[in-house]
Amino acid sequence: MPLATQKPLANGGRAGDAVDRGATPHGGASVGGGSSAGGFDAIVVGAGPAGTSAALGLAQKGAKVLLLERGEYPGAKNMFGGMMAYCPAPEQLVPGFWERAPWERAVTKRVLSIAGRESSTSLVFQARSGSERSSVGAGSSSDRSLTGFTLFRPIFDRWYAEQAVAAGVTLLTSCRAEGLLMRDGAVRGVRIAGGGGTAGGDDVVEAPLVIACDGALSLLAQEAGLHGGFKPDQVALGVRALYLLTEEDINERFGLAGREGATNEFLGCTEGIRGGGFVYTQTETLSIGLVMHLDSLKQKAIPPYELMERFVASTPVAPLLRGARLVEYSAHLLPEAGVRMTPRLSAAGLLVAGDAAGFCYTNGLTQEGMNMAMTSGLLAAKVGAEALAQGDFTAPRLAGYAKEMKRSFVLRDLRTFRRAIDFLHHDRLFEDYPRVVSALMEDVYRSDGRPRTKIARMGLRAVRGVVPIRQLIADAIRVGRAYLW
Amino acid sequence: MVVDEIFELVSYRIHPEPHIRLNQDVCQGCTHRACTFACPARCYTWSEERARVEFAYEACLECGTCLLLCDRGALDWHYPQGGYGVRFRVA
Repeated sequence: MPLATQKPLANGGRAGDAVDRGATPHGGASVGGGSSAGGFDAIVVGAGPAGTSAALGLAQKGAKVLLLERGEYPGAKNMFGGMMAYCPAPEQLVPGFWERAPWERAVTKRVLSIAGRESSTSLVFQARSGSERSSVGAGSSSDRSLTGFTLFRPIFDRWYAEQAVAAGVTLLTSCRAEGLLMRDGAVRGVRIAGGGGTAGGDDVVEAPLVIACDGALSLLAQEAGLHGGFKPDQVALGVRALYLLTEEDINERFGLAGREGATNEFLGCTEGIRGGGFVYTQTETLSIGLVMHLDSLKQKAIPPYELMERFVASTPVAPLLRGARLVEYSAHLLPEAGVRMTPRLSAAGLLVAGDAAGFCYTNGLTQEGMNMAMTSGLLAAKVGAEALAQGDFTAPRLAGYAKEMKRSFVLRDLRTFRRAIDFLHHDRLFEDYPRVVSALMEDVYRSDGRPRTKIARMGLRAVRGVVPIRQLIADAIRVGRAYLW
Repeated sequence: MVVDEIFELVSYRIHPEPHIRLNQDVCQGCTHRACTFACPARCYTWSEERARVEFAYEACLECGTCLLLCDRGALDWHYPQGGYGVRFRVA
């Protein structure tokens, strides 16, 4: 049975033709060796932001690209409660990207809340609204680089993959990559489920270049020996609940106008598990959830959905959800260990991008992933196209990708904030310090007829019995080295 | 609790064959049973009666938490076959 008829394609005939030409039934493969007739030049695994960027970038340089996606449609498997930070990469791939992409709200307001037992304290950042300036898109900040975008991945990823298909990429959905095809020590293609999807009898699609964008478990890179499997202390579990509300209610509750959006991160709401909470505004929905380091979750043994239950009922969150209806629940892993988990980024015939390369991080103030995924996809495409032009897919040639990544903001930011990322692996930050901040702020605002002291003394009182002074000083130095100098 | 309503909240196309298999013999020696509380979809439960971890794959959200927390290698872990499993959407 021809491959094209087994696997329904999301995007119509043109793609189907290409698959038909590209792979023949039952283990028969496309013509290997560069861009020979009918063969694919590259196979990209995973139609998320990294994979689609890579596929699009290669197709725009004239390569024949097969983009594999295990979901029924791109975005079907992605959890995203979040915000895509602005970055120039997608505009290089899709002109007018930020005007055309189906985002929900343009985030101009960022709130960081530190939750204690009796109170919470927030820091609010708000960029000057640019709603009245049509040139930057409704709701965007007047300075776009201060703007992030909330979006739904099932909508965004599908739209983005359509741009790739329009550029000539062959998208094959409902297709799980079973593993890599190795020959003479090089990756030469991908094994996919064969004959109607039953076990055994994998089909093979060959191409001289494979780009693994298969997400946070990074199974293909592991198979290729680029890392030994991500560890529980390198990843976090994110759980998200989606609540339906009206656009007006959201604008009112978060103090927003039009399509302006807000994000709110919470520290101290995870009962001692290293992690945090989040609330993100979409047009008429809220994404609410928690992120928890896996090793810490294991140690504290609190089920994520129980923690979630208490988070949505907590003082700062409950009023945001009044009258809202719960409509979806999802979970996903996030790479969180920065450069400590970055695998080798290439092997002969293979490049790795996006979450699969660990390109995702938080330093506690910003959370970034999609921008890094797209940038790494774009750079993988650049190096891939050069390799195709030279017909050289050896390990030394493809190592140029790691060099490109090191020059980009992606690996530079991961390196710059490596101490901050490490600092986020200290338990004290998630229970003790939120309590200290709350105790201090309670003293600042407490009015009980007794004389007040100056803040340093209040601070000492707040710290006493929670964090030893020696520890506090050591942590202060750590914070300084992580964030300040 | 959100996990009690998981089948009302989350859309699945469930394959008749499980995509993850739990090897009970290997699982038996585990002392932390982290999968029983860490799985966000509550796919793993401890059965006092049978003195073992029971696994049901249907509600799996395909996050991989169990794969990373199972340090005994008791899981034969795959993503569901193409087109099957969870399908996130916009309600």
